[in-house]
Amino acid sequence: METKKKYWKGLAQLKDEPVVNDLINNEFRESLPIDEFLGNKQIATANTSRRDFLKFLGFSTAAATLAACETPVVKSIPYLVKPDEIIPGVANYYASTIFDGRDFASVLVKTREGRPIKIENNNSCSNARVQASVLSLYDSARLKYPLINGKQSNWQTIDGEIKNKLTDLNGKKIVLLSSTIISPTTKKLIKDFSKYYSNVKHVVTDSISHDGILNANKKDFGLGAMPHYHFDKSNIIVSFGADFLGNWGSTQYSNDYIKGRNPKNGKMSQHYQFETNLSLTGANADYRTPIKPSEQEDLLYEVYLGVKGGKVSDKRISVIVEKLKESKGKSIVVCDSNITNTQQIVNAINYELNNYNNTININKPDYLKQGNNNELLNLIDEMKKGQIGALIVHGSNPVYSYVSSKEFTSALSNVELTVSTSMYLDETASLMNYVCPDHHNLESWGDANPSHGKYTLMQPTIRPLFNTRQFQDTLLKWCNRSDYQKYLQSYWMSKSVDWHKSIHDGYFEIQDKELNFSYKKPNSLSPKKSVKKNSNDLELALYETIGLGDGQQANNPWLQEFPDPITRACWDNYLTISPSTAEKLGLKNWNVSNGGLNGDVVILKAKDIEIKIPVLIQPGQAKETVGIAVGYGRQKAGKAGNNVGVNAFPLLNTNTVTITKTDEEHEFASIQLHHTMMDRNLVKETTLKDFIKNPSSGNKRDKYYYNKQKVTGDKVTFYDDHDLETGHFWNLSIDLTACTGCGECVISCQAENNIPVVGKEEIRKSRDMAWIRIDRYYSSDMTKEIGKEKGLSAVKTYAEMEEPSENPEVVFQPVMCQHCNHAPCENVCPVAATTHSDEGLNQMTYNRCVGTRYCANNCPYKVRRFNWFQYSDNDKFDFNMNDDLGKMVLNPDVVVRSRGVIEKCSMCIQKIQALKLKAKNSGQPIKDEDAQTVCASSCSTNAIVFGDRNDTKSEVSKLRQDTRAYDLLDHLNVRPSVFYQTKIRNK
Amino acid sequence: MISMKRYFRFYLSLFLTLTVINSSVFAQESGENLFNQNCTACHSLGSNKLVGPGLKGVTDKYETEWLKKWIVNSQAFIKSGDERAIAIYEEYNKVAMQSFDFSDQELDSLLAYLANPPVPEAAIAVAEGGAVLVDEGMSTSTFLMIVTIVIVAILYLLVSLKNKLKSVLGYDTETIPQTIVSQFNLFISNNINKVFSALVLAIVILKFVYDAMLGVGVTTNYMPEQPIAFSHKLHAGMNGVDCNYCHSSARHSKHSGIPAANVCMNCHTYINEGQDAAGTQEIQKIYTAVGFDPDSRTYIEGYEQQPIKWVRIHNLPDHAYFNHSQHVVAGGLECQECHGPVEEMEVLYQYSELTMGWCIDCHRETEVKMEGNNYYTHLHEQLKEKYKGEKITVDKIGGLECSKCHY
Repeated sequence: METKKKYWKGLAQLKDEPVVNDLINNEFRESLPIDEFLGNKQIATANTSRRDFLKFLGFSTAAATLAACETPVVKSIPYLVKPDEIIPGVANYYASTIFDGRDFASVLVKTREGRPIKIENNNSCSNARVQASVLSLYDSARLKYPLINGKQSNWQTIDGEIKNKLTDLNGKKIVLLSSTIISPTTKKLIKDFSKYYSNVKHVVTDSISHDGILNANKKDFGLGAMPHYHFDKSNIIVSFGADFLGNWGSTQYSNDYIKGRNPKNGKMSQHYQFETNLSLTGANADYRTPIKPSEQEDLLYEVYLGVKGGKVSDKRISVIVEKLKESKGKSIVVCDSNITNTQQIVNAINYELNNYNNTININKPDYLKQGNNNELLNLIDEMKKGQIGALIVHGSNPVYSYVSSKEFTSALSNVELTVSTSMYLDETASLMNYVCPDHHNLESWGDANPSHGKYTLMQPTIRPLFNTRQFQDTLLKWCNRSDYQKYLQSYWMSKSVDWHKSIHDGYFEIQDKELNFSYKKPNSLSPKKSVKKNSNDLELALYETIGLGDGQQANNPWLQEFPDPITRACWDNYLTISPSTAEKLGLKNWNVSNGGLNGDVVILKAKDIEIKIPVLIQPGQAKETVGIAVGYGRQKAGKAGNNVGVNAFPLLNTNTVTITKTDEEHEFASIQLHHTMMDRNLVKETTLKDFIKNPSSGNKRDKYYYNKQKVTGDKVTFYDDHDLETGHFWNLSIDLTACTGCGECVISCQAENNIPVVGKEEIRKSRDMAWIRIDRYYSSDMTKEIGKEKGLSAVKTYAEMEEPSENPEVVFQPVMCQHCNHAPCENVCPVAATTHSDEGLNQMTYNRCVGTRYCANNCPYKVRRFNWFQYSDNDKFDFNMNDDLGKMVLNPDVVVRSRGVIEKCSMCIQKIQALKLKAKNSGQPIKDEDAQTVCASSCSTNAIVFGDRNDTKSEVSKLRQDTRAYDLLDHLNVRPSVFYQTKIRNK
Repeated sequence: MISMKRYFRFYLSLFLTLTVINSSVFAQESGENLFNQNCTACHSLGSNKLVGPGLKGVTDKYETEWLKKWIVNSQAFIKSGDERAIAIYEEYNKVAMQSFDFSDQELDSLLAYLANPPVPEAAIAVAEGGAVLVDEGMSTSTFLMIVTIVIVAILYLLVSLKNKLKSVLGYDTETIPQTIVSQFNLFISNNINKVFSALVLAIVILKFVYDAMLGVGVTTNYMPEQPIAFSHKLHAGMNGVDCNYCHSSARHSKHSGIPAANVCMNCHTYINEGQDAAGTQEIQKIYTAVGFDPDSRTYIEGYEQQPIKWVRIHNLPDHAYFNHSQHVVAGGLECQECHGPVEEMEVLYQYSELTMGWCIDCHRETEVKMEGNNYYTHLHEQLKEKYKGEKITVDKIGGLECSKCHY
């Protein structure tokens, strides 16, 4: 039986008083009467009670503890259907081509698990920009889909609208404006397109025009093309401003040039450079003469008169005229002038010297420059008149790079249909109605015909990252056709090219129709009288930097941070000015307390242009001239490239400028603050004459008293030796005669070894991370001997020794970790994070390093880099390692270093290990040619040679025995595994 | 001692029974072998169709002579105009069955096997019995137990002897606990003893802490649940599939590689049934991933494939470089030397510590296989000279240098 008794807890409950209910429901009051003593209404009305707060606190503590204990679960997701050619962890190489309308290279693309991570040279030469182009593939600023009036669209809509408009232009012209196209199939495709729409015109323009030489050759030979220069076959090379080792002509030239300068044969070409700005080529010249741009034509005419047998009054010219006459048929005269008349004089000189068909081949021309400025001028004219119905821009960015971009922009409004195929929403594309984004080279099919009879193929090495479409496919679509790949393949197969072999090799040669153009002397040949200028005017010479070129890849942080080989500054352009002119104008550069370089800022005026620009004092710059690099000052390049420096393209046709000093200061990011070697023999050099007499001239070793006799440093040591005789002994030889300082190795190393970009501020604090640097030293007029003669104090002597000459000799010296076998860094590491291997390598173990930086302090070569910050996944360093896309370029075989550790050149230990493993697995000895570091394999002039010194047949072991071989700072006796070959000038 | 014997007897009897069971099914062995070697690619023992029909009850359906004729040369048999033979041929889309040149005896044993196919559960039981036999962990703990018992017995004997002596001498006797307490008091009354034992205790505790700290991040025996209950025991152990068949990149790459689903499908296009319903369900997961219809044995057009997200067991830190091909090809190691008896693992777990100490220990002990490898020819001469008769282990060719694994 159920009892229904009720028990009371007191009388109050019996009486059913409300307080009882309150207590039953809420025995412990949730909200403490805090407001009573705090009197704060906000707290009283807050939702979170003290108990909740404690709950949160307890929960988060528990959660944090648990999370800390738990090892994260790592998922591994294999392919569902694995492609045959991919083995995870093994790199595949594909032969392809890089051509962006400017830089050409036949390349091998290294891919890992389907993503390109490194570009290697394929039987050709390249440059820093080609090496860096793999990062531009992963640029997050690239367009990800087609745009109609700036809004996202899809291909179907955009094709439909464009096709409709193209067929309905009321007889107005369709113009395709492009940069140089060297693809035979693309040219055919453009013809097909012209047939389909009947009124199509193709206008080719280059950002840096080569009209002068093209027109001169058209007039003199009947062929408007750049001839191929054989610098290797030439004894005397005279260049008037042509930077053929840097930005002028084919990348092949640096290799040819160095081939002709091997002192081993006792013969080297002699190189004279007459130029305004100190260029890379000028820095490598045996004799360099600074000249004003206005002098160029007169001097060339004097050379012409000289070689024809006339009398030469100018001393600067008389020397070379004699030499040129001595080596007829074995010399080259080149000039960068864009004036047809000047180039015709150059042609006449070369003709008189019998150079055509000997060292200069017009019948096997290069096709890398095809732009025609006049056609662009006509186009703008027609656009203004409203005769152009549609403008399709491909590979060109005239709003940025055309001298008068305002004119172009305003003319653009008269065109009904404007289409861009740019990869970026750049200055031009952002003004277009339609943007049909193109693939990157590494995503595209293609072909190229860089020079007569030579062909290369381009194949995709990755599936397109975004919803983009190759320009050629876009054109085909508009002709109601499709599939450029098939188009390409059938084109070449119809010419009976072995497609499979060619796509495997990346290049092929076919017998092109032989050209037979010969020189026809022009009726008259005389220099045009240059316009007299005011005495205050400075002459201006624009140039391209080795890093950025014409600025297409301005959003590539590797290239922005690439220190200019000459000025050693990065993340900037500036006005270069000679030291004496700077002094006259009261312009200064100085170092501030943190080591950073500061400089005055000037206002540069020319006609209607006014630019504010910092001044960098450049030894070797011709007096009363200034130089500015183009390629900077981009507005719509992307986060890394926007607003870096100023745009100098509007000054393209400007000859003279005036400058006025302002009160502003500019902060440069320069990685080398000293200019000269200060009488140390870091770069040992000699002349060819002395070298022939004594093969070890210039390679003198210091001697020390030891056991009462004078001995070289290597006889004195208190270290125990490592056993370097057993097994491999990896050595690196750097030939300073062959190194042109182009910096290709720097970018190549950056790509291979996951080197972070740190930004301008950090570079300024000397916190650059590059594992290989190319030191540039100027000669000085002061030596210790001269100082003594003049009776100068030691301090004064040294101070003057740091001052470079007005027109200095320049040397380049690549310096990476020297892998000392008696390493000063290894002794001082408190945690044995840097140790030595028996294969002659100085090893750096990041996971052991605690960041004391003793090793960096103790390194005589200053090659150790400290990770001051976490450079990946850090918004403060918003470069490629801070986004998922940019990280795809990282090499999975090399660790991404974290904050607080030292890093340095490992001599590409990952490649050495892979090489040894391949040999062990296949049971074969290592072949010398397979042993490569990336700096060695990317070097266009073979200045860097890597190999096993214990292999007596290896090239590096022979180089070690060479009379020119020396250790950097050999008096320290640290016995590096890296050694140098003396620099030899042909003087 | 008694218990030891008892265990031994138990094992022996178990072993003998298993042997007997094995020998009793021996008659079917060759039939089973024949079936496994020749027929499994196209036929199952059940009633499900593969390329050809399932063979459950086939001996009841057709007479022995008919079956023999069919097996030896089915095409000739069909041509001879046998109606039932033609019917089967037509039913299976005119896919001709291969001819088998079996002897009459072989045919008999094969048909006998088909008439009495093995029951899957029995196989598992046998396998588990085998597993008990190889388990050696038990005997060590048993041994320790015995030692403890012996010590306690000795202690008891000593105390009772002492008590006996005491009672003979007329002193008060002590129980065992009293003895322990009094002896302990005597021990710690000495200061030197006190300090010494505190020191020992501290060292022991520190050692425990140190060991525990060493274990941080070490995930030996990590055995996560996988999206597909793949059994290495079944595939590598019982079916004897070579490790390199699925993990083919181990010979070429730094990764051993988790096989792509297309490798699974090499076999599972035909093998669509597991040993039990659960097994079949797991196989179905592969089909779901790749989009395969086991009934029509075709891939489904336009199917959105679903990648299989395996849980990674062996995780080396990013700063350590390890290359499988180095160890498998150049070093000639067996997979089991690091991964343990994978062929016995129903669920895969991490066998080795994968710590740096573990790597180094092996590098110190393992001899480099230099014979017959031309890469080493010159180096071997040099090393023989340098180490004169010593074993040339991995550390002697730089196997302990930092940059061999850290870069």
